[in-house]
Amino acid sequence: MERYLRNHNAISETEQALLVEKRVLVVGCGGLGGMVIECLARIGVGHLRVVDGDVFEESNLNRQLLSSTMNLGRSKTLAAQQRIMAVNPLVQVEAYQTLLTEENAPDLLKVCDVVVDALDNIPARLLLQQAAKTAGIPLVHGAVAGWIGQVCVIQPGQDLLSLLYPSFNETHGEEQDTGTLSFTAAVTASWQAAETVKLLLGKTGLNGEILEIDLFNSTSKKFKIN
Amino acid sequence: MIKVNTEPYPWHPGMTVRSLLDEKLFTFRHIIVRVNGEYVPEEGFEEFAIQDEDDVIVLHLMAGG
Repeated sequence: MERYLRNHNAISETEQALLVEKRVLVVGCGGLGGMVIECLARIGVGHLRVVDGDVFEESNLNRQLLSSTMNLGRSKTLAAQQRIMAVNPLVQVEAYQTLLTEENAPDLLKVCDVVVDALDNIPARLLLQQAAKTAGIPLVHGAVAGWIGQVCVIQPGQDLLSLLYPSFNETHGEEQDTGTLSFTAAVTASWQAAETVKLLLGKTGLNGEILEIDLFNSTSKKFKIN
Repeated sequence: MIKVNTEPYPWHPGMTVRSLLDEKLFTFRHIIVRVNGEYVPEEGFEEFAIQDEDDVIVLHLMAGG
């Protein structure tokens, strides 16, 4: 198919056909989620389930791909749905305008192959990790603050988020002081999308390591923490 | 010699987590420190003594999306 011509041969035709069958849940349609959704729709993941309870605000415009001056005050999931349909109408989209809760998590994760954590607060991230663990689905985590991004892949049974968020009384991190920059969100989300595709295709990716990308110092480093 | 974020770094007697963070100019407010895998809470930074050959990981605590 001509649409996917430039995916080949980095992605083989057999792998392309495999991607079409896969379903990914993206929780959060902001700075990270918008870019993850864009990458996954363009590469040809067949089914995207997107979740967010928020509407766009003016402060989102500095970095959130799906936001524009035309959709302020409107649903982020609706924007995600419209964007996917415009970019690749072959992708089947399910959009849920809701916050992730303990109650709705099992249904949202149902029959997904990979879950992407594109949230913006620690309690929701920990809730998603627990839900993915219970469902037995790998989780691709990403977070950003200023010039720095972090990514890790959490297989069911692993608990990497308790290493990243060891204190139970924090709801947010460094981003409260530093803000969040457009390119940091784009790079971090792109890395999340790449790890997602590798998981879908059974390829080797991040494995128990935490990747920290520092765009200010032009470095990236992987940490294995036990 | 110790390791800080996988890189070798000279150790000296009296080194604590706080003095190391100061030396390395790690000035961020939200920071996670592990020494040989053990989490060191912020209130312990002043007292926690770093020994020669310790493996120190310093990560940013971040949750933005």
